[in-house]
Amino acid sequence: MHAGIDLGTTNSALAVFDGAVVTVVPNALGEQLTPSVARLDARGNATIGRRAYRFLETDPANTRAEFKRLMGTGERISFEASGKSFLPEELSSLVLASLLDDAKTALGYAPRTAVISTPALFELPQNHATMQAGRLAGLEEIALIQEPIASAIAAGWRADDAEGLWLVYDLGGGTLDVSLLETKDGWLRVVDHWGDNFLGGKDFDNAVVDWALDRLRAGQDLGGMSRDNPASRRPLAKLKAACEQAKIELSRTLRTTISCAEMYTDAAGDPVDVDLEIRRSELDGLIAPLIERSLQVCRVLLDKTRVSPEAVERVVFVGGPTLTPAVRERVGGLFGGRVAEGVDPMTLVARGAALYAATAGLDARPVAVSAPAPPTGLAVRIEHPAVTADLEPFVVGKFLPAAGETVPARVTIEREGGGFTSPETAVSPEGSFALQVLLERHRQCRFVLKAVAGDGSPVALRTSSFSIVHGVSVADPPLSRSVGVALSDDTVHVYFEKGTPLPARRTAIHQTIQSLRPGDGEDVLLVPVVQGEYKRAHLNRLIGSLRIDGKGLKQSLPAATRVEVTLHLDRSGQLQARADLPSAGLSFEDVVHVLVPTASPEVLEREMQSATDRLVDLRRRSFRGALPAVVHRLAGADALLAEARAGLAPARGGDTDAAQRLHRLLLDLNGTLDAAEDEIRWPELEARADDRLAVWISWVSSLGTAGEQKLCDQAVQAIHNARERRDAAELERQLATVSALFDAAYSRHPEAPVWIFEAYESHLTEAIDVPKAQALLDQGRSLRRQGNLEALRTINRQLRALFPGTLEERRKSFGSGVS
Amino acid sequence: MSAGRENLLRRHLANPFFVLELPLDASREQLERQGAKLLALLAAQVAEASTYPTPLGRKERTDEMVRAALAELRDPDRRLAHEWWARGLA
Repeated sequence: MHAGIDLGTTNSALAVFDGAVVTVVPNALGEQLTPSVARLDARGNATIGRRAYRFLETDPANTRAEFKRLMGTGERISFEASGKSFLPEELSSLVLASLLDDAKTALGYAPRTAVISTPALFELPQNHATMQAGRLAGLEEIALIQEPIASAIAAGWRADDAEGLWLVYDLGGGTLDVSLLETKDGWLRVVDHWGDNFLGGKDFDNAVVDWALDRLRAGQDLGGMSRDNPASRRPLAKLKAACEQAKIELSRTLRTTISCAEMYTDAAGDPVDVDLEIRRSELDGLIAPLIERSLQVCRVLLDKTRVSPEAVERVVFVGGPTLTPAVRERVGGLFGGRVAEGVDPMTLVARGAALYAATAGLDARPVAVSAPAPPTGLAVRIEHPAVTADLEPFVVGKFLPAAGETVPARVTIEREGGGFTSPETAVSPEGSFALQVLLERHRQCRFVLKAVAGDGSPVALRTSSFSIVHGVSVADPPLSRSVGVALSDDTVHVYFEKGTPLPARRTAIHQTIQSLRPGDGEDVLLVPVVQGEYKRAHLNRLIGSLRIDGKGLKQSLPAATRVEVTLHLDRSGQLQARADLPSAGLSFEDVVHVLVPTASPEVLEREMQSATDRLVDLRRRSFRGALPAVVHRLAGADALLAEARAGLAPARGGDTDAAQRLHRLLLDLNGTLDAAEDEIRWPELEARADDRLAVWISWVSSLGTAGEQKLCDQAVQAIHNARERRDAAELERQLATVSALFDAAYSRHPEAPVWIFEAYESHLTEAIDVPKAQALLDQGRSLRRQGNLEALRTINRQLRALFPGTLEERRKSFGSGVS
Repeated sequence: MSAGRENLLRRHLANPFFVLELPLDASREQLERQGAKLLALLAAQVAEASTYPTPLGRKERTDEMVRAALAELRDPDRRLAHEWWARGLA
C-alpha cells in the first residue's frame, strides 16, 4: 500500500494506491478534501479541517488558514485565546496528522511513509519545512514530489493514448505551476516548468474583496477599513469568506450575492449587514488581469521550450480555481480547446503522489505487515523497479551467504500464474545475476526467483517473490531552480542546473580568499549556497551556508588554500554540504539552513525605488539605441513593477505573505532588468568576445594539448551557434570554457609566472589585504631576480586569493569566502 | 592544475555516454533499460557496476551519476551536445 498527500494551501487530501487502484481516503465527514485550516481554543485544543474552517469568519484570531504560503519563513503564527504561536510547518503537521488519522480509520493502520506534494517552484527552505511537517506528523519516511508531476502521473496513468506533449496548468490557492511534460512509450518526462509562487485562487478572492470594498465605500463610511490596516482583519476575514463563496457560486450561476451578516459596526455602534450582487461578467473582468498573468507564464514556458501552443496535445487543469469558467475558457483557448476530460482537478495531485510512492518504493504499511518475520534460507537482495513502462525490465540480485553457506550456481525467474519463465542464468562468482522478465501490460505481476546448486538441487531462499507494476515510468524529479555556490566576486559556480534529476551529488574545487587562524571560532569563512538562475550571486536566493572556522586547525590556513566542496541534494531537495580541506585534513559539514528571508517594508520600498530608477534609465537607453526587443522586455518589467507597487500597502499593513511576494517580485524584476541590460550590451559583449577569442585561440593553438585544441574547436563552434541565437548566457558559458583552456595553455609558457606576477604588482591597491600582498610581492621580486619561477608560481597562487573581487562584490555575494 | 580546469575536466569525463556505457546511437529504449539495469546493479552493490571506462581510465560510477546521465540523454537538445563532446573526447 502506498500513500500520497496533497498538502494544499486551501485544501488537503490523502490517496492510497494498492498496486491496482488509487483511492482518495475520505475524512470523518465523508469528504475527499480537508480544509487546510487550524483552530486553537483557549485551552490550547486544536481543531483541524472543516470544523475549524467554520470559525474562519467568526473567530479569525484563533483560526488560521493559508499557512502553506509562509512555509520556510520562520514566521510564527499566533492564536490569541491560548496565547500560543506556531511555525507554519507545525500547523501543516496538524493537517497531515488529521489526514493520517482518517487513513487509519479507513485502512486499519496509519501510513508509516508517504509522498507529499509541493509546488514546483518551492525553494529548498520551503521543501525543508514540508519535510519537517511530515516528520512532526509522525511519518517515518517521506518523499516530496512536485505537484505538476503528480498531476501528470495521475492523468497519464494507464492512458494508452497519452502520447505527446502535455501542459499541466495547476492553479492552487496560492501558487501557479505550469509544466510541460512529454510521454513517450510510457515514459513520463518533465520537459520544463514555469510558474508564479504568488498567484492563486486567493488573489481572485482579494480582487473580489477590493471590488466589494470600493462598492461599500461608495455608499457608506467604512472608517479606516482597508487591506493595509491590521485593525480591519476581523471584518475583512468575514468579507473574504463571503467573496470566496460567491466566486465558487459564479462557476455555476451567472449572478449571486456576497452576503456578510454583521460585517462591521457603523458610527452608532450598530452592526451592518452587507449584501452585494455580483455578476459572472464582473468577476471575469476582475480576474482578467490575473488570468492574463497566468497566460503569460504559459507563454514564457512555451517560449523557453520552443514549443508552439499547437504542438501541445492536451491541457490538464488542476486545482479548485481552474473550475472558474473564465480560466478554462481563456487558458483552454490558448491551446485550441484541447483540454483533458475526465480528471478531477481537486484530487489529481494526491492520486499522483500515491502512484509515485509506488515508484519510489515507499510502502505505507506498518513494518510487521510489510515485512513478516523472515523464514530461513539463503539471503538474497533483489533489485527491480516497482513501476515501469518497460515490458522487459531487468531484475538484478546478489546473494548474501552467511558463514558456511555457498552461492547457488544458477537462477531463474517465473511469473506467478504462468506464461513466462526466464532462461536459466549462471550466478557470477561474486554472487550476482541480472535477468530480464516479461510483464503483462498495465498489470501488477508477481514473480518468484528460483535458485539451484551446482548439482541441480534447489536452494531455499529467504526472500524469493516480488512484484512489478507495468505503468507510467517517471523520470527522477527535476530540480526546479539551479543550485550553486556564491563566489567572492558575486558570481555563481553552478553545481546543479535547473532540471538536474534528484538525488544528485557534485564536487568542485575552490580556493579560500583569506587566511584562517587556528583555534579561532570567530574567524569564519563562509561558503554560501544559493538557488536561482541569475549570474549575479546576490540576485539569487541564499538557501544555506557552510561555515569553515579555525577551531580544528593546528596551524594557520593561508589564503588560496584548496577547498573541495561537495553538495548533495536528496530526492526531496534537502541540501547537505561538505567542505574538505585536504591540506589540513579537515572536513566541515555544518550547514546553516537559511529561512526564506523576510524584509521590512522600508527596505522593500527602497529596493523598489532603485528598480524604478533603473527601469527608467534602461528605457531611455533602449529608445536611444532603437532596440524594440528591449522595449518589449521592459514592458514585462513595467507589469512586475505595477504589481510590486500594489503589494506594498498590504506589506506595510503587516501582511507577511504580501512582503514575501514583494520580495520575490523585486528579485524577478531585477532579473528582467538584468536581461534587458544584457540585450543592450549585446553588441559590446560580441565585440569583447571577438577580442578575447582571437587571443585565447592563438594561445590554445600554440601551447594547448591535442585534446584541449579539440575542445577549443568545439567551444568555438558552440559560440558561433550562441551568437546566431543571441543567447548571451550560452555565449558566456562557452567563453568560460575557452577561457579555461587559455589559462591552461598560458600557464605552460615559461615566462607566464613573471607576467602574472607583474599584473598583481600593478594592481596592489586592489588587494583585500594590502600589507600581506606587499609582503608577497617583496618575496616574489626576490624570486624573480633569482629566476626561481616555480616558487614564483606559488607566490602567484597566494596573491590570487588576495584579489578575489572587490569588497563590495564580496559583501553582496553573501560574504562568500571562496573563489 | 587550476581549479577551473580541474572542474572542466571532471565534467567532461562524466559524459553521459561514458557513464552509461552506451553507443552514441543508442535508442530511447536502450537508454532507459541500461539506466535501470545500472541502478539495480549499483543498488545490489555489484562490483563491476561501480566503475566505468573513460579515455583517461576507469572512473568511479555512482547511482547519482547514472540518474544525471539518464536525465541528460532524455533531453534531445542536451543529448546532441553530449554526443558532440563524446565524439571529441573519444
